[in-house]
This record gives sequence, C-alpha cells and structure tokens, in this order.
Amino acid sequence: MRIGVLCSRVRVEEKMLLAALQKRGVDYDRIDPQEVVFDLDGNGLGKYDAVLVRCLSHTQAYYLTRWLESGGMPAISPHRVVATCGDKLLTSAALQKAGVPIPHTMVAFTPEAALEAIEGMGYPVLLKPLFGSWGRLLAKVSDCYAAEAILEHKKTLGGYRHSIFYIQEYVEKPGRDIRSFIAGDETMAAIYRNSTHWITNTARGGKASNCPITPEIDRISCAAAQAVGGGVVAIDIFEAPDGRLLVSEVNHTPEFRNSIAPTGVDIPGKIIDYVLEVAAMKAGR
Amino acid sequence: MRERGVGFERIDVRQVIFDLNDATLEDYDVVLIRCLSHSRALYAAKTLQEKGVRTVNSYEAIATCGDKVLTTLALIEHGVPTPRTAIAFAREPALTAVEEMGYPVVLKPPVGSWGRLMAKLNDREAAEAVIEHKEALDKSQDAPFYIQDYIHKPGGDIRTLVVGNETVYAVYRSSPHWITNTARGGNTSNLPVTPEIDHLSRAAAEAVGGGIVAVDILEDSDGSLLVNEVNHTPEFHGAMQATDADITGRMADYVLSIAREER
Repeated sequence: MRIGVLCSRVRVEEKMLLAALQKRGVDYDRIDPQEVVFDLDGNGLGKYDAVLVRCLSHTQAYYLTRWLESGGMPAISPHRVVATCGDKLLTSAALQKAGVPIPHTMVAFTPEAALEAIEGMGYPVLLKPLFGSWGRLLAKVSDCYAAEAILEHKKTLGGYRHSIFYIQEYVEKPGRDIRSFIAGDETMAAIYRNSTHWITNTARGGKASNCPITPEIDRISCAAAQAVGGGVVAIDIFEAPDGRLLVSEVNHTPEFRNSIAPTGVDIPGKIIDYVLEVAAMKAGR
Repeated sequence: MRERGVGFERIDVRQVIFDLNDATLEDYDVVLIRCLSHSRALYAAKTLQEKGVRTVNSYEAIATCGDKVLTTLALIEHGVPTPRTAIAFAREPALTAVEEMGYPVVLKPPVGSWGRLMAKLNDREAAEAVIEHKEALDKSQDAPFYIQDYIHKPGGDIRTLVVGNETVYAVYRSSPHWITNTARGGNTSNLPVTPEIDHLSRAAAEAVGGGIVAVDILEDSDGSLLVNEVNHTPEFHGAMQATDADITGRMADYVLSIAREER
C-alpha cells in the first residue's frame, strides 16, 4: 500500500499527519504540487492507493482532486467535497437539499438586488465571499450605510469572485460557536470556539475548549459531512438563540492544531486511519 | 418560442434574488440560460436546479464547459480526441511542461472566453515572459497554468452546434490570426456535417453533460480532428448568415422537449 500526501507548505498539521503515517509504518510520498507537471492525459505522479490532499490553496486542491480521480486514485477529501466546501453557495445548497438546518441565505447577482435582499432580510446580515477562508472579507452589515459601502467595494474589487452576492442571516451566538471534526462517518472531536469578536476563528484569536459530542451534535455533524460528500471535514455549527443548531460552513482541509489539547483526541492519527481505510478499500477492489 | 405559442418569460438575473431556504418550486417547466456572465449562468443554474427547476444547460454542463481543465478531463475520460494538455501550479514546472511539449504551445486561462489572455508561445523567451506576467496577474486568483500543444490548423477551425443529440450545423472559421474567433474578426463559411464531424461533435457534447453547446474542432496537419473547447452559451449570429439551418427553432424545440419530460 502506498499513500501520497499532496502539500506545498508543511505546517504543524501536515507535520503531525506525516508523523502519524511514519508511526504506522506506512509507505508514503510527500509531493509538492508546485514542483510537478500534471499531464491531463496521463500521470506525472506514481500510483497511489489513496492521496491525502493538504494543499493550502483551494484551487490546487480543486483541480488536483479532480485530476487524481480521473486517474483512478481516491483523493481525501474527494473532489466533490472540495468543490462543494470551497464555495459557500454550493455548500449552503447541498446542506439545504439534505435537510441540514442552515441560517437563512440569499443570493443576488448585482449590488442593487443584493441591497434589496439585505433590506428584506433585516439587519444585521452577513455578506460573505463565495470563496476564501480564515474569515477573510467576511462582513457583518448592521445598517444600509454599511451595506452600500461594502457592496460598492465588492463591485470595485470586481472579477468572478465578487460578482455573486451571498447574503446570510446573522445568528446571535452565545459568545462561541462549535467546530466538529469528521472522518468518514465518525465525529472525532468537537470544540467550542470562544471569542468576543463575532468571527470566532481560532486562527483569528478564538479560544478553543472541549465540546462534548452530544447525540445532536454528532447527528448534525455527520449529516453535514454526508451532504457535502464525506471525506475529512470540519463543520462550523452555530447555537441559535432558540436552541436550534445551524450549520454555517464546512471545511475540506481543516486545521486542527488548537483542537488536540482541549479535546485530548489524536485528530491526525484518526485522519490517517481513515485515509488507510480508504486505501484498503481501493486495494481490495 | 413566440412562433410555437409557448408561454415564456424573460428573467433578468440582475434583478433576481434567490432564497435558498425557500424550497417552493419556481413556476417554470424549464429555464433556458443565456447569461453572458459565466458565473451568473453557473449559479443561476445551480440555485434553480436545487429548487427542482430544469435548466438548459444543466449546472454540470456549465461548470464543465466554463473551465478548460474540467473540459479537457471530461473529453479524455470519454475518449474524445483533444490536444495534449498539462497543468502546473508554479513557474518552474510550467516552463518544464512547455519545454517537454515543444514549441509552439498555447497557454490559456482555465476560465475565460472570447480568446482573452490566450498566448501562443513560440520560444523560451516568450514562455518565460508570459508565464511571469501571468504569475504577476494571478497572485490572488491562484489559477493553474494550462499548457496545450499547438495544433497547426491550416488557417481555420471548425465550430459545430449540438442541440440535444443532433449536430445542427458546422461552420468553418478562418482568420489570419491564430485565434479564430468570430467575435475577434474571423470569417465564417458553411461546412457539410460529415459523419466524422457529427460523431465527434455529439461525443464531445455528451462528455461535458449535453444540452445546447458549441464544439470547437481543430484539424491537425495530418487531417485528424481534435476537440478543443466546448461552449455552454453559444453565440450563433455569425453562423446564421453562413448556414440555412433553423438554429433558433431547433433550440426552442429542444428546450420544449426537456420541459415535457417527466420530473
């Protein structure tokens, strides 16, 4: 059995994942996609029973998972997951279709229609770029002056990425949200992310603490993961004031360095075990 | 549509707001998507399909045709001949791919149309300069380098229109410039739909998910035909003068046949 790991920069997460592979005595190659020519009608890489894709760049993950699957190599996460999670509209649509509760979400194609949608939803709302992570260019819009200013900036930014307006109800959170980690159909771990800022990303200073995996959290996490196509994902969950859990986003290449200590769960080990499971299934076929 | 007495509405997507949580079915049997903007076409199709409304083309076809990497992979997977193509994510492997393929090669942005930002590279100097410029342009977009074997088409290329399972017309587009796009000033003349062109066109359309598509075909110096690109919102005003095919009629009939299918 041979495993490939696609990544350019070896961050803390990738170091832990490679260490977990070594510990299990697995034959693996780390491949830097920035050094390789990918022939669309052939190879360029060796043959692998499974490839763990840990590209920082969503675009690289997007094309390379598609390319790997075209060559019959399972990618983790699969292309469908990367394509869906990398685009907030596709994520919301997939969750909604699968019956996973999401905050109220609207889409418009011009600043004028976006403003109308915002006014219809009522302030505050969130304006999110379809692509991107770490909370970048996420805007909480509290009144029409802010709405007009941000819409104008988005229009001026221009391009494919800013011409679609994704508008979401702002959910009042109790100073925290939940992030759960899924591999296959198992909720490995969950944390609370506490922050005084409404963006509760640990990369932006949110503090992580253990969140017990209740049956409800387990259920909504697995449902969200299945909705986007499985694989290894992290689910962002809001606790709405009325007690409902709502899924906000799903991440296809989760960072987990700050979630191991509070939960006591060997997240990289569990990810690698899942990768090996996928590889064994492929080898067994 | 009017000739056929069909009830239809033109929807200006610029004024539409799609509510993702509102699962009520929109009141259309089918929606023909003719957005100029690829991203609007893509997301309008997606949101409509999620609400149970059929679209022509489908989201999958729009997504595949709108991205040259996805198109090429789909063609290869369906055994449709296409020029040799490689992708790379940094300057060094991009140059390696260019050199391995041999000059001239074509460098294209994976997403884009009307021949914009396409570059024919005849030597190493051109390759280095263009790749460096692309890197400077693409910092935020992070698009891969899409590197394709240059096909020595003798002065022109072929464009066909496939509607459903039928090749409606084929035209020959000639231009002194290597980018033979009528939107860029090429000449269009009628071409008989030979069995070979018909077969290749329909195979290409099927590979990307079908519907109403235009297929760009290149004739190699040895006479073999290669599918270059597939377009999901074909422009056909140039072809209307060159052929006597009832283009809009065929398209309308196809859209109506989709509307009549069982949900």
